[in-house]
Amino acid sequence: MSRPGMVLEVDERTPPLLVHAGESVHLQQFPLGTRVVYPPDSLPGVGDVDAAIHTALESPHDSPPLRELLWPGMRLTIAFDDISVPLPPMRPPDVRQRVIEAVLEQAAAIGVDDVELISAIALHRRMTPEEMKAVVGERVFRSFWPERLRNHDAEDPNGLAYLGQTDHGEAVEINRRAAESDLLVYVNVTYVAMNGGHKSVPVGLASYRSLQPHHNVGVVRHSAFNDPPQSAMHHSYQRMGAVVADHVRVFTVETTVNNDPFPEQLGFLNKREWEWGVGDQARYLALRRANALAPTAVRHKVWQATRAPYQITGVNAGATDPVHERTLATLYRQQLTEVDGQSDVLIFGLPYLCPYNVDSIMNPILVMCLGLGYFFNMYRNRPLVRQGGALIMFHPVPWEFHQVHHPSYVDFFEEVLAETTDPAQIESKFEAQYATDPWYVHLYRNSHAYHGVHPFYMWYWGAKALSHLSEVIVVGGDRRSCARMGFRSASTFNDALEMAADSVGHSPSLTYLHNPPLSMGEVR
Amino acid sequence: MIREALAGKRVLITGVTGFLGQAVLERVLSELPETRVIALVRPRGRRSGRDRLVQLADKPVLARWRERVGSHEARRVLTEDVEVVQGDLDAPPRLPGDLDVVLHCAAAVAFDPPIDEGCANNIEGPVNLYRALRQSGARPHVVHVSTAYVAGDRKGVIDEAPLAHHIDWRAELTAARQARPDAERASREPRRLEAWQHQASKVHRKAGPQTTAGDVERRRVDWVEQRLVDAGRARAQSLGWPDVYTLTKALGERAAEQMAGGATDGPTRPADAHASGEQALALPLSIVRPSIVESALRHPYPGWIDGFKMAEPLIIAYGRGVLPEFPGIPEGVVDFIPVDLVACGLLAVAAQPPEAGAPAYYHISSGSRNPLTFNRMYELVRDYFRAHPMPQRDFGEASVPEWSFPGRGWVERRLGLAERAVATADRVVTRLPRSTRTRGWMSRIHQRRRQVEFLRRYADLYAAYAEAEVIYTDDRAHRLHQQLPAEERDAFGFDAADIDWREYLQDIHCPSVTAPMRHTSPRVEPRTPRPEPAEQPVMAVFDLEGTLLASNVIEGYLWLRLADLPARDWPGELAGVARSLPKYLATERRDRSAFLREVYRRYAGASLAGLQQLVAEEASDLLLSRVSPAGLRQVRAHRACGHHTVLLTGALDVLVEPLRPLFDEVVAARLGVRDGRCTGYLAEPPVVGEARAEWLTHRAARLAADLRGSYAYGDSHSDLPLLERVGNPVVVNPDPALYQTARARRWPIERWQHAGGGRVALPAPAAAGRAAPGATMRAGP
Repeated sequence: MSRPGMVLEVDERTPPLLVHAGESVHLQQFPLGTRVVYPPDSLPGVGDVDAAIHTALESPHDSPPLRELLWPGMRLTIAFDDISVPLPPMRPPDVRQRVIEAVLEQAAAIGVDDVELISAIALHRRMTPEEMKAVVGERVFRSFWPERLRNHDAEDPNGLAYLGQTDHGEAVEINRRAAESDLLVYVNVTYVAMNGGHKSVPVGLASYRSLQPHHNVGVVRHSAFNDPPQSAMHHSYQRMGAVVADHVRVFTVETTVNNDPFPEQLGFLNKREWEWGVGDQARYLALRRANALAPTAVRHKVWQATRAPYQITGVNAGATDPVHERTLATLYRQQLTEVDGQSDVLIFGLPYLCPYNVDSIMNPILVMCLGLGYFFNMYRNRPLVRQGGALIMFHPVPWEFHQVHHPSYVDFFEEVLAETTDPAQIESKFEAQYATDPWYVHLYRNSHAYHGVHPFYMWYWGAKALSHLSEVIVVGGDRRSCARMGFRSASTFNDALEMAADSVGHSPSLTYLHNPPLSMGEVR
Repeated sequence: MIREALAGKRVLITGVTGFLGQAVLERVLSELPETRVIALVRPRGRRSGRDRLVQLADKPVLARWRERVGSHEARRVLTEDVEVVQGDLDAPPRLPGDLDVVLHCAAAVAFDPPIDEGCANNIEGPVNLYRALRQSGARPHVVHVSTAYVAGDRKGVIDEAPLAHHIDWRAELTAARQARPDAERASREPRRLEAWQHQASKVHRKAGPQTTAGDVERRRVDWVEQRLVDAGRARAQSLGWPDVYTLTKALGERAAEQMAGGATDGPTRPADAHASGEQALALPLSIVRPSIVESALRHPYPGWIDGFKMAEPLIIAYGRGVLPEFPGIPEGVVDFIPVDLVACGLLAVAAQPPEAGAPAYYHISSGSRNPLTFNRMYELVRDYFRAHPMPQRDFGEASVPEWSFPGRGWVERRLGLAERAVATADRVVTRLPRSTRTRGWMSRIHQRRRQVEFLRRYADLYAAYAEAEVIYTDDRAHRLHQQLPAEERDAFGFDAADIDWREYLQDIHCPSVTAPMRHTSPRVEPRTPRPEPAEQPVMAVFDLEGTLLASNVIEGYLWLRLADLPARDWPGELAGVARSLPKYLATERRDRSAFLREVYRRYAGASLAGLQQLVAEEASDLLLSRVSPAGLRQVRAHRACGHHTVLLTGALDVLVEPLRPLFDEVVAARLGVRDGRCTGYLAEPPVVGEARAEWLTHRAARLAADLRGSYAYGDSHSDLPLLERVGNPVVVNPDPALYQTARARRWPIERWQHAGGGRVALPAPAAAGRAAPGATMRAGP
């Protein structure tokens, strides 16, 4: 049993605390009385992962064992999460590879020949062959790439199947091969509560048309992403999942990882600061120094090459709902810390990585999404910050884009945000144009570009936070980028507090959501 | 005196639309209603002589009169009461036979025209006028407007008397006419043409032979003009005049004296003279010599001026702080005379005709009885600008320099130094690689060069006037003024002693001439036109390398070649390319097309299908990572408007394949292929330089596209022929030569950011396990 999470109240003895800010970390002294939310210590892994997978496949929840769902001559499709999870990517072998290999072994033993593997990228960029290989492993890649191992294509008119509507009138349209299979096995890695469950098939394999019903400003504003019962978005997934289930049998395999995102040499990032030893201090200083000295390109490369030594904390298989229920339970056990009430100001440091810039560049829109979409939503019950409160985040927000991966982001930033930052206005005025732009569609399908509409979703992701908060201040943020997004940038944390005084007064209550490792507040 | 003498008289005014002519007309219309005006006006463009006259009704010069009589009446007077004789003095029309007075105000006041033009305007013009008068049978009193500076380079006191010289104006006129054919002939000498060819090809070689030829011809024409200007100045100075203007005005006076005195003809057309049976009758002639005519003292209102005259550009330049010194003698007299005093003086002279055959001479000037020294003028103007500084765009207000009158030699040396510095900076910077910084320097040098050219021009032209140690007496004009009855002095007074120089310069003249320059609007850079849907088909043509893409054909080759090779073979390949690089660059400077052919030879033996696959797998993302997002947005904006978008590039078609969906048409280089392998030769010549312009014209005709409404985007001087063909040229990240052209023609200049520009992008090496590394692209030559 690992140590539970805690809320530290900063007092005179509290040392400066670690804050992530893009590709750097630093120690920040917080005002007395600041509440700091630490997650529970990393959970121990399951030990023998292959054995756990075997057990899961053999004794699934609310489903016959996988073996019994396979027969010679059947059409089997295995869909799996793309490189957007987990973050950072895990050290090989990837748990998805292990599950896929186990499934393929059983299929081969039974004589299933018609097998295809699809990465459930939805409107994300296509994975490159190297990335694909890293997820499914060399053996699977060699046997299936490129004909029978491919990326989902949400813009292939012949590759999509319309399955009907939910009772709320939501169109359900997913990958044709998956929809027309005798069995669809979905292989998932869950490291935040918003993922997994019915988000896997109806979202990961969907078309733009089928994403619209839940990926919009109205739904986002009524969704607490990591608290599915309170999330309109997850309700929609749920309804769509039911429609999918009417057409194709889905066998879900979900895995969870613990909270070990950094390799041993960066292990101090996972420790509580007052427990750092001399080695940790030295490594911290070395990291700071190396970071300061390294040219930008080298720094990018080194951080992006980081692979996480995650332990697998659970493997569950079977029907989607009972599986996901167990997944969430494990996840909450790892991340959830009880917090007593909301505060006036929420503070967090944003890392260099979000789901959409693996092997890429964290552009300003992704910073907004990571902060206001993901970190703001790391709560259950109610937000960590009160309505009308302020958010202070740490990130340099460089005006920087990856042109191949994020072409529509560049234009979104230049054209759309230059005109308005209001999500609802952006949605009504620009979304259709970007979503159907033939050049973006071409790049999504043929290059390695996120879909034209993707930056809109990123912006919508922050819609709830935008209407909840009265102020967003970015410490160390590039002034131009921040201003373009409607945020204020502060040179130092103290300046940020000073600026926040306009909206929350001079002695606000502060909560620092400590990261790394990933933590989440259960707000009473 | 004037009213009485001119009442009921018929007065012909030449040059009525000019500065002085307008002032005279204003006085006549306002004060002499019983005088009949006949105006000799030349038609210009579509406007007839009458139209041009009637347009004066709306000009400031007649504002007061218009207010008094009403604008309807003003137009009526100009339409009905004033007679118009349409024509000019090059070939005068038939003049009325009942003229009483001729006010010959027409003149070309450029100081340094080509010698033949100067003579035509200031000698032949009056000669033709007198001949036309004789043919008409009229014997009017001719008031011939000259200039005080006809006295030439003299010092001391100049009286109101005939000029003392024995120059044969007919001989000068004949020589001047001959100067142009001589210059034209000289300009066609092979050694000259070769020199221009050499200079032009240095600049335009990349753009192509037609562009070069156009430039050679421009240089030749400019040379002819300059030679005639030089010839004029040299001849004038050899005879003792500062410039061709004053020389020809002086010879014009002599011609007038002779023609009015009964000489039968000029050398113009001897045959005509005899044929028309002109009578050698003498005319009453008054020669009026104003000094430097400046804005009005009183009429039509203080400060009235029409366009910039002599001193204004200098006053403005001084006020802007860009005239650090000026050659001039501080004690010298600057002989200014307000235009209305000249107009009134002319009318007073007109009212007192001398005997025929005994011309009268008048100076209308201020230097004799109310001298303004150069130093005093400088102080008054300086104090004016100190009290009322000129605004500078974005930088508050200009401060004016303190002059120390260091003398001509010093100014000359400084100017020479500045000219050499600008020329050197220009030579250096046009050879630098293009960058935002280079363009910033170029724009500063451009500004500086304009400043130095301005200084040079004015120092050369006007130094003589600022260094004059001469006084023009005006006793005779003053006596005439004294005869004016008291009641006419308000309307026609022209006594230069009335001028209070402080008041005139600080309260009237400077405010008037600086007023239009005081609005500082933000600098309006030419903007890239927003694509708009059009009724006729419109083309939008984009160059690729340097414009949409931060890359070049050599890099493109490396992307493919290196992606095809394992890392261990990279150094060899890179070294091979590096060895050829100097040769490539030299070829590129000489001939873009030859350069492309040379680089493409490296593709000999490459498999076409293999290349296509390499592009799809490797080069595509490299290419997309180097394109300019702003450029792509512009392409798509054109498409959204239904324009026919074209990618026009010398790059290989296989390589630009990833961009094909953006364009309606891609024109790129195509490699010749035999048995699936590239031959290393192009299937057809690359479309570069002037070939682009021809291609565009041809294609536009096929599409029935409107080239004037079409767009072209280019970055290099070699795109010039293409850009010139369309109505909306846009210059993107230009090279220095194109930048200069774009600035001069006020074309919009875009700065499209390219991600990762500057550095060479490299692909991932071919994986070790690849079936046959290097097989796609067999090693090049």
